[in-house]
Amino acid sequence: MSWIKEGDLNLLEKISANVLKAGPMPKHVAFIMDGNRRFARKKNMERQEGHMQGFNKLAETLRWCKHLNIPEVTVYAFSIENFKRTKEEVDGLMELAKQKFERLLEERCFLNVCFAYTSRYEITNAVREMAWGVEQGLIKASDVSESLLSECLYSNNSPNPDLLIRTSGEVRLSDFLLWQTSHSCLVFQSVLWPEYSFWNLCEAILQYQLNHKSIQKARELHQEHQALQQLEADRACVAEHLQHHGNGKPADAQRRQEALLHYTACREDRVQDFLEALKHKRNSFFSDLCSKPVLA
Amino acid sequence: MAMLYGLLWRLLLLLVHVNTALVSWLRVRLRSWKGRLWERAVALNHNPDATANPVTGNRDDGRRARWLSDGKALEKLPVHVGLLVAEEEPSYSDVANLVVWCMAVGISYVSVYDNHGIFRKNNSRLLEEILRQQNLLGVDGSKYSIEFLSNGSDKHNVVSCRPTVKVLSPEDGKQSIVQAAQQICRSVENKERSSKDISVSMLDVLLRESKNIPDPDLVLKFGPVNSTLGFLPWHIRLTEFISLPSHRDVSYDNMLDALQRYASCQQRLGQ
Repeated sequence: MSWIKEGDLNLLEKISANVLKAGPMPKHVAFIMDGNRRFARKKNMERQEGHMQGFNKLAETLRWCKHLNIPEVTVYAFSIENFKRTKEEVDGLMELAKQKFERLLEERCFLNVCFAYTSRYEITNAVREMAWGVEQGLIKASDVSESLLSECLYSNNSPNPDLLIRTSGEVRLSDFLLWQTSHSCLVFQSVLWPEYSFWNLCEAILQYQLNHKSIQKARELHQEHQALQQLEADRACVAEHLQHHGNGKPADAQRRQEALLHYTACREDRVQDFLEALKHKRNSFFSDLCSKPVLA
Repeated sequence: MAMLYGLLWRLLLLLVHVNTALVSWLRVRLRSWKGRLWERAVALNHNPDATANPVTGNRDDGRRARWLSDGKALEKLPVHVGLLVAEEEPSYSDVANLVVWCMAVGISYVSVYDNHGIFRKNNSRLLEEILRQQNLLGVDGSKYSIEFLSNGSDKHNVVSCRPTVKVLSPEDGKQSIVQAAQQICRSVENKERSSKDISVSMLDVLLRESKNIPDPDLVLKFGPVNSTLGFLPWHIRLTEFISLPSHRDVSYDNMLDALQRYASCQQRLGQ
């Protein structure tokens, strides 16, 4: 039996979905699923029951996303900070996660679950990986750039989220995808996560559509700026190189241009080799982890 | 069929825009109506025996006292407020007002940001405007003198008792993180440290060194765009975001409302 609940949308939901799909749709939605415990209190349930409802709601939401042709979803299940909760609650969450996510492997969809995650740690880790690359002689410190850092994040295989939704009325990011959501549409909704409805999701998508053009413009502006910065950085490196290796005479424009193109091409090759090595390192880490005997 | 849905979608967006326009029109009407009622109430209650000193000084004293008491009345006041102007063609006088009000209410650090870097480019114009508003609003220069931090300055100034204004642009966001990363990688290249030494606190210290101010507790976002637009990604880990429709013609009461909403929110920090 499928964990992502099968079943169609009702007629009204189908029509609304089709209307929304006539406009721009987010390709990657991130959720901060907040409000399980408040829900439990409200309904006089145990906390664990609240978390259970939360997981069920996740399954339902994934179904809606499938119907809305949203190919990728990222959720914030558990932060490093959440380890501060009682041992009982933490253990309960871990067990629930293990059960539910095992079943998820039977489905085929892109669901990224951020577990024991904080964004600052992820960014720091990306910096550490680049420093490792420098130590290994794969890249130079001057190769460090915004796009390289993005490639070193855990989320490098995914596009940045177009839409970030946080439920339960809190209006902060709580150390979630801080780098990746710098130009995402942020929607804060007051509904508690276990009470999330199809219409709440539609409302969030509508917000995304209303903001689409202006956010797109801002993103493009940022990318232009990034490209310019990379070009200037390359130029500076080339200028330095020519100064050290030149014959004292100032290089002409053509020679500078050739040197720049050559330098850029070399840098890009270096970076590709480094990223390959990084991928290999990560894959080895996981296969080593899986081959270790699992302690009960 | 697709065409029909396309039309319906456009209709939906139109309805939303009409609704938004109607709501903001109503809000403006309500505010001016409330304003007129208030004036009438004040006129009615005005005690003819009390000396209504027409000299500006007294009125300003009253305003300043009110602002200060408003700040003290809040359950919690942010230490650092970010003003995120997500609108085209910013109004310097309105932003200057907001800065002066924030500081009059007792907020120690105010950052001003727009994603085009307009404020950064016109740094001096903004700061002139702030000083002008300070004088106009009768805010006492010596007590509230503002410290203007522009990029890379005042590294020696560790503790500032005076309110501080900082003008930010997208360069202070991801680009700063990249620069810190480059610095770290250079020291690794020079064998001054190992990649294993790199920690969150190391990066945090580097990112704080050039800014020298605490993380923003609150960001007031002005304009219809629902995004941080690149505002200090590292520093907004626990920042509360409160949206206001526009910075143009924003009133002190609008700002105070937002601060009251901030005061009532609760941070559980993972627990």
